[in-house]
Amino acid sequence: MRETIQSWLFFRLLFKPTVVFEELSNTRPSPYSVFFRFILWLAVLPPVFSYIGTSRYGWNIGGAEPLFMTPGNLLVISIVYFFALLFGLVSTALIAQWMAGTYGARHSLGIHLALVTIIAAPLAVGSAVHLYPHVFINVLVLIPTLMWSMYLLYRGLPVVLKISPERGMLMASSLIGWLLVAAVSLLGLSVGLWGSGIGPSVGV
Amino acid sequence: MMSSKEIPEDEYYHDSVVRFLVMCSLVWAVLGMAAGVYVAAELVWPDLGFNQPWLSYGRVRTLHTNGIIFGFGVSALMATAFYSVQRTCHVPLRLPRLAWFTAVAWQLGVLAGGISLLAGINAGKEYAELEWPFDIAITLLWIYFGIVFFATIANRRIKPIYVSNWFYGALIIVIAMLHVVNSLAMPATLFKSYSLYAGSQDAIVQWWYGHNAVGFLLTGGFLGMMYYFLPKHADRPIWSYRLSIVAFWAFTYSYIWAGPHHLHYSSIPDWVQNLAMVMSLILLAPSWATMVNGIMTVSGAWQKLRTDPALKFIVLSLAFYGLATFEGPMMAIKSVNVVSHFTDWTIGHVHSGALGWNALITFGTFYFLVPRLVGAELYSVRLANIHFWMALAGTMLYILAMWGAGVSQGLLWLSLDQIGELTFSFKDIMASMPPYYLLRLVAGLIFLSGAVLMTFNLMMTVKGRATVRIRPPAVSTSAVQS
Amino acid sequence: MNGLQLHKKLEENSALLIFGILFVSSIGGLVQILPSLFQESLSTPTANTRVYSPAELIGRDIYIREACSVCHSQQIRPLLAEVERYGPYSRAGEFVYDRPFLWGSKRTGPDLHRVGGKYSDIWHRVHLLNPRDVVPNSIMPAYPWLADRAANAGDDIQARMRALQRLGHPYDDAAIEAAPAALANMLEVDALIAYLQVLGTAYVPDDSDEHGAEH
Repeated sequence: MRETIQSWLFFRLLFKPTVVFEELSNTRPSPYSVFFRFILWLAVLPPVFSYIGTSRYGWNIGGAEPLFMTPGNLLVISIVYFFALLFGLVSTALIAQWMAGTYGARHSLGIHLALVTIIAAPLAVGSAVHLYPHVFINVLVLIPTLMWSMYLLYRGLPVVLKISPERGMLMASSLIGWLLVAAVSLLGLSVGLWGSGIGPSVGV
Repeated sequence: MMSSKEIPEDEYYHDSVVRFLVMCSLVWAVLGMAAGVYVAAELVWPDLGFNQPWLSYGRVRTLHTNGIIFGFGVSALMATAFYSVQRTCHVPLRLPRLAWFTAVAWQLGVLAGGISLLAGINAGKEYAELEWPFDIAITLLWIYFGIVFFATIANRRIKPIYVSNWFYGALIIVIAMLHVVNSLAMPATLFKSYSLYAGSQDAIVQWWYGHNAVGFLLTGGFLGMMYYFLPKHADRPIWSYRLSIVAFWAFTYSYIWAGPHHLHYSSIPDWVQNLAMVMSLILLAPSWATMVNGIMTVSGAWQKLRTDPALKFIVLSLAFYGLATFEGPMMAIKSVNVVSHFTDWTIGHVHSGALGWNALITFGTFYFLVPRLVGAELYSVRLANIHFWMALAGTMLYILAMWGAGVSQGLLWLSLDQIGELTFSFKDIMASMPPYYLLRLVAGLIFLSGAVLMTFNLMMTVKGRATVRIRPPAVSTSAVQS
Repeated sequence: MNGLQLHKKLEENSALLIFGILFVSSIGGLVQILPSLFQESLSTPTANTRVYSPAELIGRDIYIREACSVCHSQQIRPLLAEVERYGPYSRAGEFVYDRPFLWGSKRTGPDLHRVGGKYSDIWHRVHLLNPRDVVPNSIMPAYPWLADRAANAGDDIQARMRALQRLGHPYDDAAIEAAPAALANMLEVDALIAYLQVLGTAYVPDDSDEHGAEH
């Protein structure tokens, strides 16, 4: 069993995912190495892109003109975005680890963090679209990106966690339940923050 | 006390009425979803009404909601209630002729009701648009449904009443209460009546009804479906009996209070709003307890997935059930509701439940049930698998499109500039929504196509085959008659 | 007897189960609905709120027939941006003659609670018959048939008013007698416009709440 994840694996995810899955099934990385080498970057990219895009172009969400925020507010929102993503990534790994018992999957936290890295990788790369924060364009780009992520989840999970395809199907579907909840929580959290004055100005 | 009771030679479960109801449910599913796709298209191309009153958005949308709830939903619930109550009680359906009458009359009612809605006969309250003659018919038929169901239970050969029957029972009892109270009206003509309640009082009564129609019809009834069919499907018992007890009563108690979360910041008393918000949050617990019960039950049945495509539908439906029952309480929080109310986010939430939970669990149940009704294999496992991915894609695309549209609308409507003035006009904001509506239309088309595939698959499965006759199993001496 | 044993009793007796469900599920409704049915402020009209005239009543019933509530709300929330956009927020006393209430739950089009007096009758006429003639990007359906039918085509205005009278609306018999004549020569579109023009006009903010905001 390999102890660390080869860096080039990340880049092969796009064209040769099955190779990546096989490699990972034979790797037992330490959670810290996965966290610092991959997870942190996945969480950092979207907020950085959106900070740059928003300060330059504002939020183009459908009115005639874009919405701008004060630099202070923008910074706070970007930082909250980073922590929210970090929380999402780590909690998903922990929940997957918790589910592993039910589905007879591998238990190491490191491999679950690696699995989360696989799922989140397309989205982190796709978040480059935040450089131009037009909501509909973001939605249009992120939908196929999301489809790719979900494909990687369903295909990769059973291989990486060394369980049968059927168990993998069930576990992946359960994980999707959690991911949907996390996504909608992000929506709710954002909206709640706006109402408290953090973010664009709303007259409530 | 009593020796083993022999089952009479000619005693069989009454399943032909189940088959009839399942077929009707499929037809309404396709018609109701087609109506939905039509109105989704009208939101992109408003001239699709072709200046015809009966094709205009308002009327067809009402047809869509009613067709899905009363046509697709209730038929599926009646079918599965009749199927499962017999088997959990080990007796054939009592009063089978009444069951048939109710089933057929209900379909005629849905048809006539749908036509009346297109004709503009509308009482003006959501999910209670059918006018008073229909309200009376619904009440009568619902009472008959209850009589058949509870008479079968009263006549059971197994003493304890299984948990799925508690949920179906709650469906019948609570919907009866809600429908009767909310429909009270003073008729003016044969097709026009005025609500007994007015203004704010009407609002509170309406959303007590409206939210609990969702709670006990769309949630409770389908949980009954899950509690029976999932263990059968997975060939394993429900994971935790204790959890199901606590969850059932907590669910039945708390759901009722949540109605006024549809009325946040409106002219009803603040205490009613706040109470609804708190109870909506509390409701999360029994909802998720049930979901966990379901997921843990199915997780042990993974080998079945190799040969059984339908189990995938059930698992995914539980995931969406988790989403919808989390999103609901979250949107019931006033500070979230401030942005979400009146927007497409609410529509997204409705459909994450209606498509993700209700439709998917019904599809999974039908794929399991229909082959068994005729003693044959499913016509095409491959089509069922294709349907699964289409259903997932359609649901996710719908939700994402509506989240995008809804949050944008909500934020833009409230947006103020630095001097405290409105930043955008309403019409400018809404002018940017059609791309989302187009995405949603595509989502609906995908979902509808999947449903059409399933209807074809199931019809080919039953074609030319009679409903099999199954005898109730003999009951051993240890199970005392009730 | 512990909880589980108690529950076993419930599970083995269908009558107890039915009663238990009915009891548990009625509590919420009783607590939330009953007090509101007896609360004066929810059923007392504000100063200028009056019953709908025959034309307005027909207009309202047309609004219901065409399911306008499905896209238009009639409930302005006490939020800064909302009050700026639509006017003083909605008070309970303005809706006491609304059967059923038409607050709606979706805004595909703007809130209409205070649309009364904001646009001319002609504007409404053109807009209703084809919205895109006045708002090019509008996705509202066209309602040309409203100009083809008489307001009292169903000849049932008296039956409607009597039904409302029975429910407590202060219509006097003379007004009911005169109603058909009041609707003569009126088309459905005129009745609907009459209804739209009265919406929200009853509430007049007094000096203490100039901006429609509660102090």
